[in-house]
Amino acid sequence: MMHPLLHTPYLGNGLLQQRDAIIATLKQRFKTYGYKQIQTAALEPYDLYVGNPKIGNTDDMIKVVDTSGKVLVLRPDVTIPITQQIATTQMNGGEDTRLFYIMDVFSYRFEDDQKQRTQAGVEYFNNRTPAGDAEVIALAIHILKDCGFPEFKLEIGHAGFFRALLAQANLSNEQIAPLQTYIQTKNIAEMVDYLATLPIQETVKQAMQYIPFLYGEPNEVMEKIKRHGLNGILQAELTYLVNVYNSIQAYGLTDHIVFNLGLINDMNYYSDVIFQGFVNQVGKPVVMGGRYDSLGDYFGARIPAIGFAFDVDLLLHAAKQHGLLSTLIEEEPIAIYYDVAAQKEALAIALALRERGYAVVTYSTNGDQHTASKETVHIICEADSYNLYYGKQAISFQHISELIQLLQERGS
Amino acid sequence: MAAFTIAVAKGRTADQSILLLDSMGITFQQLTSSSRKLIFYNSDETITLIFVKGVDVPTYVEKGAADLGIVGKDNILESQAEIYEVLDLKFGKCKFAVAGKPGQVLDTMQPLIIATKYPTIARNYFSRKGKSIDIVKLNGSVELAPLIGLADVIVDIVETGNTLRENGLIILEEVEPISTRLIVNKASFALKSQAIHSFIQEVQKNLV
Repeated sequence: MMHPLLHTPYLGNGLLQQRDAIIATLKQRFKTYGYKQIQTAALEPYDLYVGNPKIGNTDDMIKVVDTSGKVLVLRPDVTIPITQQIATTQMNGGEDTRLFYIMDVFSYRFEDDQKQRTQAGVEYFNNRTPAGDAEVIALAIHILKDCGFPEFKLEIGHAGFFRALLAQANLSNEQIAPLQTYIQTKNIAEMVDYLATLPIQETVKQAMQYIPFLYGEPNEVMEKIKRHGLNGILQAELTYLVNVYNSIQAYGLTDHIVFNLGLINDMNYYSDVIFQGFVNQVGKPVVMGGRYDSLGDYFGARIPAIGFAFDVDLLLHAAKQHGLLSTLIEEEPIAIYYDVAAQKEALAIALALRERGYAVVTYSTNGDQHTASKETVHIICEADSYNLYYGKQAISFQHISELIQLLQERGS
Repeated sequence: MAAFTIAVAKGRTADQSILLLDSMGITFQQLTSSSRKLIFYNSDETITLIFVKGVDVPTYVEKGAADLGIVGKDNILESQAEIYEVLDLKFGKCKFAVAGKPGQVLDTMQPLIIATKYPTIARNYFSRKGKSIDIVKLNGSVELAPLIGLADVIVDIVETGNTLRENGLIILEEVEPISTRLIVNKASFALKSQAIHSFIQEVQKNLV
């Protein structure tokens, strides 16, 4: 036997249909919020990502060299190219622009063989307002409801929060990296030991140690912040977050919200509110997003925006785990077996049925009557008679209209 | 409150975890040291305890098969699972170290050959130092490797140092301290907040 060369997973018809159904659900919901679809090229100039400062981890990018020696990358991120496109074309002309996309991203970092993930998300180019941010968060929640998840939470934090603390601490990037990991993993024990080695003020240390605890029901979190006197340094960020929360309250969606002020996104372009959504039992967020008001600056344009992306395959996996995928009844096509003498008529029947949405396959019997037939529903066309078979039961018919009536009666 | 599942590394970690849970007033009736059962429930069945291999605990927790896990830092580091590491339980203390024959130099021009059960940890440690290495992945008796010339040095867990000494090896560099940790699935942390947060607080109160 030949050794298989292809190791990437092959999605069978059933799973593909379920995947399409989930994507259709997302698309439909994006549209109902007034979003229009956009697509960018899969191959992008490497230079897009190596500006100063660098955006994204260039080591993980899949690179190719074109015939002129230029280095290209397979789209590692969606937000960056869309922002660049908006910035260079001035497509939004300063107006609010709502775009959605279904696109693949590629990275060596992805654990599976495919190195490819499908993202479905939105980018809303608008000035920062609590109402605008709340609408985008409400859309993400709406989609999780559409998918049918009985239980899910959206964690909301603020990218400026950790940054405001760092601003008081004058640390190098090498010193910040472990700190960020400790906060992201809520590893307080090791963070305390690590902070002790850093030359920063005691009040800032205290505040940093407390970040992982700033988690839970928003009012409680705000209480904790006041109790620890953190509201002084972080006043601006906190006020904004509370305003967003109040807007979400107007949507009646606060049951799905928790505050997580220890939330730090690895993409460093986020500037304000950030969020991630979890469904029961799936340890990775199915949706991630946030506001990135200064990403446009890289491309010489001031274009504030907020967006999010669903990891389609993780969402599909989660929906499967929760038994939310409709089991598809795969409809077998109707087979038409025809004698050469009745070929024209048989093909006309096939066409008429296809026009009405039936799946039809046709076979010439070459005078051999017995090729028939595994399919339960089939039609045998001979020179002088047309018969519709349900298994062994035969019903003869004269005209297409009669056949369609028979099929409809059977269907209903 | 929501019921939850704790995955515990079999062996010494399990024994100490049961003592800890016991001190919190959480007991598992059918649990005896000789039992070969792998799944237990507390009296009101709000907590399920499952015993799995240490290396598998981070996977169980990341994938949501368990909400919480009790496992050594060594296994957490090696698995690189996406989880919260909320408490240091302070038992099972030991350290990761680079060990070899006395006089072995680590600053060589050639890549060091390293025998270890923990390739990820070894690779990360030396890549931070900018040192190129070759890894020989072994599953046990790692101390043998430098003695028979299979590797220059080893990266392994050192508790008392007895095994090293008896095989004529010494610690050349300490990598990092290890102890048992309480880890949490990120979705459970968000969705079963109340039950899990109060459990974490109870554990913390009962730590010595």
